[in-house]
Amino acid sequence: MHRVVWLATALVLLTGCGGTGDDTSELTVFAASSLSAAFTHEIGPAFEAEHEGTTVVFNFAASDALAGQIQSEGTADVFASASGTWMDAVQDDPGVSDRQDFVQNRLVIITPPENPAGIGSIEDLANEGVQLVLAAEGVPVGDYSREALANAGIAKEAEANIVTNEEDNASVVAKIASGEGDTGIVYESDISAAADNEVVAVEIPDHVNVIATYPIAVVTGAPNADLASEFVAFVTGPDGQATLEEYGFMPAT
Amino acid sequence: MRSRTPLPLWILAGFGAVFVSLPLVALLMRAPWDDIAGSLSGAGASEALRLSVVVSLTATALSLLLGVPLAWILARSRIPGRSVLRAIVVLPIVLPPVVGGIGLLFALGRGGVVGQWLYSMLGLQLTFTTWGAILATTFVSMPLVVLATEAGLRSIDRRYEQAASALGASPRYSIRRVVLPMLGPQLAAGAVLAWARALGEFGATITFAGNLAGRTQTLPLAVYETRLTDPGGAIFLSLILVVLSIAVLVAMRDRITRAR
Repeated sequence: MHRVVWLATALVLLTGCGGTGDDTSELTVFAASSLSAAFTHEIGPAFEAEHEGTTVVFNFAASDALAGQIQSEGTADVFASASGTWMDAVQDDPGVSDRQDFVQNRLVIITPPENPAGIGSIEDLANEGVQLVLAAEGVPVGDYSREALANAGIAKEAEANIVTNEEDNASVVAKIASGEGDTGIVYESDISAAADNEVVAVEIPDHVNVIATYPIAVVTGAPNADLASEFVAFVTGPDGQATLEEYGFMPAT
Repeated sequence: MRSRTPLPLWILAGFGAVFVSLPLVALLMRAPWDDIAGSLSGAGASEALRLSVVVSLTATALSLLLGVPLAWILARSRIPGRSVLRAIVVLPIVLPPVVGGIGLLFALGRGGVVGQWLYSMLGLQLTFTTWGAILATTFVSMPLVVLATEAGLRSIDRRYEQAASALGASPRYSIRRVVLPMLGPQLAAGAVLAWARALGEFGATITFAGNLAGRTQTLPLAVYETRLTDPGGAIFLSLILVVLSIAVLVAMRDRITRAR
C-alpha cells in the first residue's frame, strides 16, 4: 500500500514538472469549424512548408466557443472567426491586431438525395410537416439561417417546423445526410469541400440570403506573435485565397 | 491527525477533493444571484426540468425492466458466449455517448436498419421525439443496472434458494420472496446510479434525438444551448442539476454503502 501511494505521489510530481517545454516554433490557430477542411488539408501544410521547423496546431470549434476559450485560456496565436460578432468579443478582451476580413460564405439549403419533402425553394421550408434542422441560436450559422427565413417572410411558419437545434454546421449536415431531417440550412463551404456528404443543395436567392463575413486576426498576447502575423498574411494572400475558393468560400469584398 | 493514515494519502485525497469540488464552487461564484428569477425563466428552466425528470425516470424504469433480467441471465445461466454478451451489454459505460447516438441513428433512425421499417410500416419516427431521448438515455444507463444486479446475484448464497425449493417454493415464488429481497440494496444502488447517469446524459441524446425545447431538450442540452445566448441562465440550469443529483446521492448513500 505504501509503495503504491509513494509511486502515485512521485508520478504527480513528475508530470507536474514536465509539460511546459520550448514551444517557440508552434503556432496555435483557433478557427471556425467551417474552415477545418481547407485549413488542415491545404493551408496548414503549405504554411509549414514555407516556414521550416514550424508546426501549426489547429483548434476547430464553433466561433462562440473559441472566443470563450481565448478569453479564459489565452493560448491562441491566431483567431479565424465565422462572424464579426465573436471577433468583436475577442477584440474587446484580450484584444487583436492585424484584423482583416478574409472570406465570405453563403447559406444554402440542403436535403437528402431523395428529397422526401420535395424542397425546391426557400419558401418550401414553410410547408406544413417539413422536418427542418437548423443550428441553434447563438451559433453563427443558426442566427444567419433565422435571418434568411425572416428575409424570405416565412420566419414564423418555418421556425414552427424546426425539429432540432444542432450544435454546429457539421451536425446539421449529418442529420440531413442520414435522412433523419427533411431539410436544413448550412454554409456553402460545408458541402462543397467535405466531398462525400450525401446531400443535395438548393440555392437561396441573393436578396434573401445572408452572407457571412469571416475575420481573421492575431490575438493580443499571442505566444508567437510574429509567426501569427505571417499566418494571417498567408491566409489573406493569393495562395491562401485560391485554396479557400476551392473549398467553397468567396473572397471578402 | 490522530489517525494512522499516512500523510501522502492525506495530501492526495486533499488534491482529489479540491479538484472535484472546485468547479462546483466556481459555478456558485459565477452565478448572477441578483437576477435569479429572470435568468431561470429566460432559460426555460421549468420546461427542461420537467423533461429531464420524465426522461431520466422513464429511462431508469426501462433500465430496470430490461437490465435485471439481463443480469439474471449473465449471473445464472450457462449460455455460450456469455462473457462476450456481458462485454457488449456493458460497453455503453466506456463508449463515448456520441458513438452510441450515431449507432442508434443507424439502427433506429428514420433511415436506419430497423428504423426505416418502423417508419414505413408503422409511421413511427423516434428521432426528434421524447421517446427517442428516453431510448438514448436508457442505452447509456442500463449497463449500470446490469453490473450492480449481477454483482448482487453472485454474492447471494444459493443455498437459500435451494432451501426454499426444498420447502416446496416454486422458482417464481423463491425469486419474489427470497432472491429479490436479498437483492434489494444492490438493485437500489444500480437504479440510483442509472438514474444519475440518465439525468446527466448529453451526447447520445443530442446525437440521436436532437435538441428541441419541450420535446428533447433535457437540462444538460438546455445548459449547452443557453450558454451561448444566456450564460447566467446556463449556470442556474447547471445548479439545478447539481442540487438534484446531490440530494438523491446523499439520500441514497447509506443504501449504496450497505450494498457492498
